[in-house]
Order: sequence, then C-alpha cells, then structure tokens
Amino acid sequence: MGKREKVLVKICVGTACFVQGGADLLLYNDFLDPVVLANCEIEGSSCLGMCKMSSTKARPPFVQIGTEVYGDMTQERFCKLLAEAVNA
Amino acid sequence: MLELNNQYTLIKRRVQTEVLKQFFDETLEQDADKIPFLIIPKERIPNRCCIYKERAMIRYRIMAMLGIDIERFDDEMKPLTEYVKEVMVKDTPAVPILTTISTACSACPPDRYLISDACRGCFARPCLANCPKDCITFSHGQAHIEEDRCIRCGKCKEVCPFHAVVHIPVPCEEACPVNAVKKNEDGYVEIDYKKCISCGRCAMSCPFGAIVERSGLIPVVKMLKAQQHVTAMIAPAIEGQFPGTLAQIKQALLSCGFSSVVEVSQGAETTSIHEAHELTHRKESGAGYMTTSCCPAYMEVVDKHLPFLSERRSEALSPMGYIAQWCKEQNPETKTIFIGPCLAKKVEAIRLGTIDGVMTFSELASLFMAKGVDVREMESADLGDTASFEDCRQFAVSSGVAGCVLNRLEGTQEVNVLPINGIDKKMFRAMKIWEKRPPEADLIEVMCCEGGCINGPGTIVKPSVALKLRGGNKAATPVKAMRDPLVRSEMHERK
Repeated sequence: MGKREKVLVKICVGTACFVQGGADLLLYNDFLDPVVLANCEIEGSSCLGMCKMSSTKARPPFVQIGTEVYGDMTQERFCKLLAEAVNA
Repeated sequence: MLELNNQYTLIKRRVQTEVLKQFFDETLEQDADKIPFLIIPKERIPNRCCIYKERAMIRYRIMAMLGIDIERFDDEMKPLTEYVKEVMVKDTPAVPILTTISTACSACPPDRYLISDACRGCFARPCLANCPKDCITFSHGQAHIEEDRCIRCGKCKEVCPFHAVVHIPVPCEEACPVNAVKKNEDGYVEIDYKKCISCGRCAMSCPFGAIVERSGLIPVVKMLKAQQHVTAMIAPAIEGQFPGTLAQIKQALLSCGFSSVVEVSQGAETTSIHEAHELTHRKESGAGYMTTSCCPAYMEVVDKHLPFLSERRSEALSPMGYIAQWCKEQNPETKTIFIGPCLAKKVEAIRLGTIDGVMTFSELASLFMAKGVDVREMESADLGDTASFEDCRQFAVSSGVAGCVLNRLEGTQEVNVLPINGIDKKMFRAMKIWEKRPPEADLIEVMCCEGGCINGPGTIVKPSVALKLRGGNKAATPVKAMRDPLVRSEMHERK
C-alpha cells in the first residue's frame, strides 16, 4: 500500500457545536480505531457557519471531513464516516 | 446516571435557546406557544408515542424554564403566553428547585430481579440454594422468581454462573441517595421535599425527563434586559465547560450584558483560610474531625438527615457566600448572580440572602447561543490579579478543597484527609455510621457529586473532557489540548 494523503478532518469547536454534543467528539483518541486515526489529520475549527444557515436541516455539532460538512454528529457516526473516508 | 449528552439534554438546550431568543426579541409574550411546534415539526419521527405528546412535553419544559412549579400549577387550558405574562411581572419563588411532570413519567414498575432466557436450568442451581426467601421455582427447564416473595436481595444475581439474572432498577429511585423519590399509588414519580437534598441526581437519571429543575433564568435575563448592574460570579468548575479560556469566558459574559465578572475562586480562598484556622484550632483542642461546608447538597444532608454532623461541619461560608458579600461591599447596588454546575446552590442562595440569582452552565450555554456569542471568538478580558487564589480553582474537583485548605495551614501539621467523592446511597449509609463510630480523619472533604462539581447536574461536558481542558490556555485550542497528553506519552515511549 502506497503512502496516501491523510484525510483532513475539522471538528467545529464553535460554542453552539461544542455545547450540543461536539465536546464528546474531542475524545476521539479514546473511541476512534487507531488505524483510522493514523490516516486522519484532525484539527479544531472555528464556527463553520452551518448553524446559521436556514437552508440546512442538519443541526450542530458539525464536522468537516475532506470537503464535505456533516451535521448531527455523534461519536458512532464520526467513527463510521471517518472509516469510510479513510478507506475510500 | 445517564450519559450527559442524550436526546433529552440536547432538546432541553434547544428549548431554552428558543425561549431566550424570543425573550430578547420581545416576542415571547405573543409567540411562546409556537415553540413546541418549532422544535417538534410534523415530519419528526418521535421518540415518544407521537409528536403530539412530544409537543406537550416541550410545553412543560418551557414551563419549567419559566420557573413554574408544574406539580402544583399546571393548567392545561392555560396558554404559555399567559404564564409568560405572569412571570414577567412577578418572579416565581425558587424552591422547591425540582418538580415532576407526571405525564412524562413512564411509571416504571418497582425495581425487580428477573431471570432471563440465558438461564440453562443447571444442575447445581445456586440461585435456589442461596435464595433466603425460597422464591425460585423451575418450570420449562428454567428458573423463575416468585415476585410476591422476592425481597430484592440480589443473591441469585451474584451466584448465577451464566449471569442470567438481571436487575431492573427504577432509575430515579436508585439515584436518590436519601430515598426522597417515591412512586404515588398510581405509580408515578413523587418527590418528598422534606427529605430532598436538591442534589439533582434524579433529574439526571430519568430517561423520560420526568423530573425537571425549575430554572431561575428568567429573573436573571430580566435584570440583564433592564440594564441593571449585574455581577456574574463564575464557579471554579466553569473552566473546561466552554471552548475558550477563563479570560474569553469572562469577555463572553460581558458581551451578554453582565456588568462585571468575578471568579468564585476568590471567595474560595477566604473559605480555605477560614477552614485552615478552624482545623488547626480543632486539632489543638482535640475536638475531633471537621468536614468541609462548601457543598450545599451536603449541607442539606446534614440539616435534613444527619443533624449530628452540624457541629462537625466547618463554620466557614461557602466560596459563593464570601464572594457575594465582597461584591455587595464593592457595590451595594449590584445584583449578584452565581453561575455554576449546581442545583442545590439555589437553596443555599435563599438561605444566605446575598445572592440575587443562580443559573447553571447549561443555561449559560443557551444564553450564549441565543445571543449568538461564540466564546472561542472572544478577545481575552483582563482577569485581574489571580495569583493568590489560582489554586482555589481546584475547588471544583474532588480532593481539591482539601488541597487548598492544607496549602493554607500554618506550620507543619500532620493532617489526615478523607475525601468523600460523591454521596450515593451507599455513602449515605456509611456517613450515618459516623455518629457511633467517628471516621479516622481530621479533615473530611465532602462533595455530593462524584468527581466534584465538574460532574454537577448543570454541567455541559463530561468530566473527562473538562479535566483535559482545565488549566492554562488549553481550552483555547480544545482539539489540540485533547491530543497533547497523547503526544507526550508517545514521545515518552520512543525514548
């Protein structure tokens, strides 16, 4: 397996995301598969602006994986989406 | 207790945010009844039986947020706007701080032991041999418990080699350390306020959200809107609850309309000094053990259940008491608002009389969202000179109070510390025994919540997250702060 680009992940740590479950995602070291984790570059991000958009039905917390932004993030969903992104 | 983040807490936060948004837009008196429809839209797939019941529950949550004692003053025919008009004119009394929503209560059957299909109907049958009431019977090759004879001792569960016996508790009753939560004859939840210590464990445990706190938020936002001089007194546990440093949290509060912000840790310094003196004095006079007095739920335990401890607890005021006094000395006109993780502080605030309002971190989060304040984007406010009480921020963590008291002892003394890390049923029973058999300690630090105030009922994030964000500027970059300890341990391994 050749060396691949790491998947860039941004966890929104704006107040609205943080207090509505986003803080739980910060424990990713504890709940992510280490193999998946090794292939991700995870960083915190200022408000992605999604919570202020009325067009979207998704709710905080938001996470950006690659170029896609996902709402209603939970630890389980985060694991699943990251695994998919890494193996894509 | 339930995980901190669940459907219920998230929806509660949304309700609070919407109510506050309408309050500041001055539309609450007309539009309050629209909020249940906004939060539970037609398309929603309900978690309860139907969206209509969910909407009715949202209505009750709004009532709780308005500070209404639902148990006594629920009038289903009365629109929310009428309630809003009433609370705008006159604040509701703050106690009792908990109330119940009987229609939300699932009327859980009494706690019981049940033998599941995992039972193999084995030959040895330790359940049968060990049951003191002889209530195990066998049919169809499996064991069964005769409900009417079972005394719920749990022996069968302990001895089953297949772990086939399950205990099904009643979450609220199991959580209450002092047996104040009971079922009425219809099976719905009731709180015995004569016994209740306002710790909030039941409210945190009910998976149906049937026990709610009556919020004191409306009186506070009324003060803010009227542009009175309001002082926010932030509890030591606040650090780590928001994605920003203490200085940023202070600035966020100022931009919400608070006139000044003080750290309760400053009052904690006075408490520690007082307790250090008292401890020295007690040791010299051979008066025996002393307990701390800063946990208001513990104070309720002493007043309502264990009166023999009233001469054992320190006479020091809590940090909140001292800081409120100080604020009123600086500016007698100021309104003092305690912002903390605690529900029992509301009871203490009434007793002391120097505190004009109490709100929780969770309510503050809703205020930030309603006002569109992002803690992370805030400039750093000046915290002033914090050198003398910096260590007192540890008051929020189990063993932290004792540490601060020991730091302030004069000379070298041998002090035996016993931290009580959380009062649950078992701990409450153990404390009862102290009357006959005093514990072998000089200083007993009592915290009703396990882990300390950072695990209180009004918190936002789990203690495991909060602990990693506390201290220094870690909370300014939450994701990095989470990673850093790991990086360090990896480097350690490489060496």
